[in-house]
Amino acid sequence: MNNDSVAICVENVTQKFRVIHERPDTLRELFSKFFRKQVTYHEFEAVSGVSFTVRKGEIVGLIGRNGSGKSTLLKIVAGVYRPTTGQVLVNGTLAPLIELGAGMHHELTGRENILLNGLLMGYSKEEMLSREQKIIEFADIGEFIDSPVKQYSTGMYMRLAFSVATEVNPDILVVDEILAVGDFSFQEKCFDRLRSFREAGKTILFVTHSMGQIEEYCDRAILLEKGRLTVEGSAAEAIKAYLGDAAVEEPILVETPSPRA
Amino acid sequence: MTELFRDTFRYRELIWALALKELKIRYKRSILGFLWALLNPMLLMLVLTAVFSTLMPTQQVHYPVFLLSMLLPWTFFSQSLSYAAESIVGNGDLIKKVRVAKLVFPVAAVVSNMINLLLSMIPLALIVVAMRHPFHLTWLYLPVPILALTILTLGATFFFAAVNVYYRDVSHILQIVLQVWFYVTPIIYSLDYIPQKYRIYFKLNPIIYVMNGFRLGVYYGMLPTWESVVASFVCAFAALYFGFWVFRRRQHEFVFYV
Repeated sequence: MNNDSVAICVENVTQKFRVIHERPDTLRELFSKFFRKQVTYHEFEAVSGVSFTVRKGEIVGLIGRNGSGKSTLLKIVAGVYRPTTGQVLVNGTLAPLIELGAGMHHELTGRENILLNGLLMGYSKEEMLSREQKIIEFADIGEFIDSPVKQYSTGMYMRLAFSVATEVNPDILVVDEILAVGDFSFQEKCFDRLRSFREAGKTILFVTHSMGQIEEYCDRAILLEKGRLTVEGSAAEAIKAYLGDAAVEEPILVETPSPRA
Repeated sequence: MTELFRDTFRYRELIWALALKELKIRYKRSILGFLWALLNPMLLMLVLTAVFSTLMPTQQVHYPVFLLSMLLPWTFFSQSLSYAAESIVGNGDLIKKVRVAKLVFPVAAVVSNMINLLLSMIPLALIVVAMRHPFHLTWLYLPVPILALTILTLGATFFFAAVNVYYRDVSHILQIVLQVWFYVTPIIYSLDYIPQKYRIYFKLNPIIYVMNGFRLGVYYGMLPTWESVVASFVCAFAALYFGFWVFRRRQHEFVFYV
């Protein structure tokens, strides 16, 4: 495969977590546990041996039940976690939307947060200042931009965070379920922007529980089950496998159709 | 080590923004704002001067100048450590959601306290003038001990920031250690008061070599011997090397423990 056409390449990635039973959080606990030799833990594989490739310009959905390792995988791709084994190659700039407003500080004003957020994502001050106006316009929060973020409504807060993350014009966007929140018009605005991202040939990897969104936006979908990749294929195939599986094992949990589906 | 310098340079804008954020938040909602950076050491100096001029028979002339010349660098050191110990844990939410070089947090803590230190040199200069203490040319030498102190402090902050991720007791223990350390360091007194036979133990304290330059330059108008300058940089770089070594080895694990 031509390397230039690959945006994200995940090779045999495994992420183990040490789940310590009552991890000693203080020295006293450590000492008492040490002398009684009770520091016990088990290793838990959140993601095991997952490999897949996302080509440039593709929109790939990541589906699976709670605890199937979707978010962990997304964090590995975003570089938050360093995988226990395996490799991740990312080709281009990547903006993580793991949680809206992760880099926001409540005491700082919206304007100050735009700069801080951008710097945290690795952009230069100059770049952020040149984009500031556009970010403020998209977020549409008026004169609140110079008030501390703690006075914002949830909607304003999220509009600002989304605006910062997408206005910096990344090559790859990694999105974790965040689009399920916010009011309808905000969601519409977000999806409009995702659409324009797709039209601009950008790559998006996103986690969602809405099968409607998967069908509507994704070129392909990946199904994770207990940390393993079980289906990689067209959106329809993955959904079928996922829903079929859910119907057998979880008959009570009927997938709610998304409002637009 | 090269990684440290490279990343510090690479993330300089972020470090600066984080440092300013810290200062902004520290003085938020206070009427005097940044003035507190200047007032705090002054008020502490007043208290200590009042206490020690009544307790200590052999007074140093211009005791406030004598005291502040060491108290200010000490405040920088101890505040940086207290802030940095919490810097990784305190930014846990961020570390869990954004890919970011971890070293920016302790470095930013040191930078914000450095701004404080530099600002507090202004009231020190004012007091020197007010007390008619001679304004020595050796003030020009101060950047040298400031550099050594910064390097030493960075080393210590990396170490404490890293271990505090694993054991939160560290930040509490650190407060006690700093208290004791304050009294065994000749800050409020001079090493001359210590009987000769005990002096050797006081000289085991690495920070006195680093801070000595401040008192010599500001109070005595003298320059340290080259041996003590070398000793101060050896201590400083040893601390930085060790501290960053611990931090670097563990930094990729922080995200799992914060």
